[in-house]
Amino acid sequence: MTMDCVEFRRAAGADPGHLGVEATAHRDVCPTCAEFLRQTLELDQRILAALRVPVPERNAAAVTPNVVAFPRIERRRWMALAASIAGGVLVGSLLWVSGPRASLAQDVVRHMAHEPGVMVMSSAPEDASQVERVMERGGIRFRSDAGMVSYAQTCQFRGRKVPHLVVQTDAGPVTVMVLRNEKVTAPVQFAEQGYVGTILPAGPGSVAVLGPTGADLSQVAARVAAAVVW
Amino acid sequence: MNAPFAGKQGESAFARLCEELRPDLFRFAFWLARDRQVADDVVQEAMLRAWRSRGSVADTSAVKPWLLTIIRREHARLFERKRFKTVQVDELIDSESPELAAEEEQETMDVRRAIFALEDDYREPLVLQVLMGFTTEQIAGQLGLTQGAVLTRLFRARQKLRRQLGLTTSGESA
Repeated sequence: MTMDCVEFRRAAGADPGHLGVEATAHRDVCPTCAEFLRQTLELDQRILAALRVPVPERNAAAVTPNVVAFPRIERRRWMALAASIAGGVLVGSLLWVSGPRASLAQDVVRHMAHEPGVMVMSSAPEDASQVERVMERGGIRFRSDAGMVSYAQTCQFRGRKVPHLVVQTDAGPVTVMVLRNEKVTAPVQFAEQGYVGTILPAGPGSVAVLGPTGADLSQVAARVAAAVVW
Repeated sequence: MNAPFAGKQGESAFARLCEELRPDLFRFAFWLARDRQVADDVVQEAMLRAWRSRGSVADTSAVKPWLLTIIRREHARLFERKRFKTVQVDELIDSESPELAAEEEQETMDVRRAIFALEDDYREPLVLQVLMGFTTEQIAGQLGLTQGAVLTRLFRARQKLRRQLGLTTSGESA
């Protein structure tokens, strides 16, 4: 027996990224609930973008554990702490005063968790008007020679709207995120949480190409990224 | 006992890991406190404590939940010490707006405003799930709740956000 619509909405409204077997079965036979799930996942993307508040730059000059580096900790208290952990503090302080490390790849992978199930092999192209809308909002075009677009959505990513595509390539389905505002100086390769991918410098920003672990993206990534016309 | 952060090599590994996690730690602290300065203080204090206790960590995958626990405790301690005055959500948002609004879209600011207004009981599990990627089981462990209670809070959190943002869902009238 599958769950009913009310039960589905409670399950999907609480944990839309991890539907159980019964909820998945219900989604597959109930278009209204499938749409509810899509809207909930979309809301989660907006929530994620809002939660990702800017992280303050760390003061590069303040590399020693003193009151300049820690202005809001009372001096006497800091001195007591410093005395007790003098050896460790210097190294420890470097953890938060040497500048934030970009984690663009992590963010891209994390974004994938909010749209489970879209990177699947498919012979059905995305609705042409939807593709056009996404491209237009992203200010890009996508040349069809790189593969068929089976999914196109405008997604929230780091507080901006970015085109998110699934392209059916020779190497299987790959996800493409066009990141106009995320510059990388050289290709960034990564493998985590079940995905492999490459972020390539492109246009004014970059293009991220991801596939499931085991996918050979060596040829495909550059071709797909080159198909993005800015 | 396995101690991945013991010794000199362990120090470096711990430093690297904390550096990777710092943005998430700051954001978690920010959404607990809804104040950037307080969040900064909390993270600094938490890192000091974590650094001193790093030898007790037996599993690298446990570091993130462990650090978040320390941050929650530090935040609670700071509140006990400082006894912040009660402020209105609008005041909080206004005080943070100049920092947060930089280059952000209005839509993101609207959602942020709605999250600001959520009660702590709803905001915290939502942050752990959506931002930190925790499972509901992990959230239950972190907050000392049953998994059922976590699911209820997450469901209500999204309901409240939808209402605040004026969103209707499929099969629901406006």
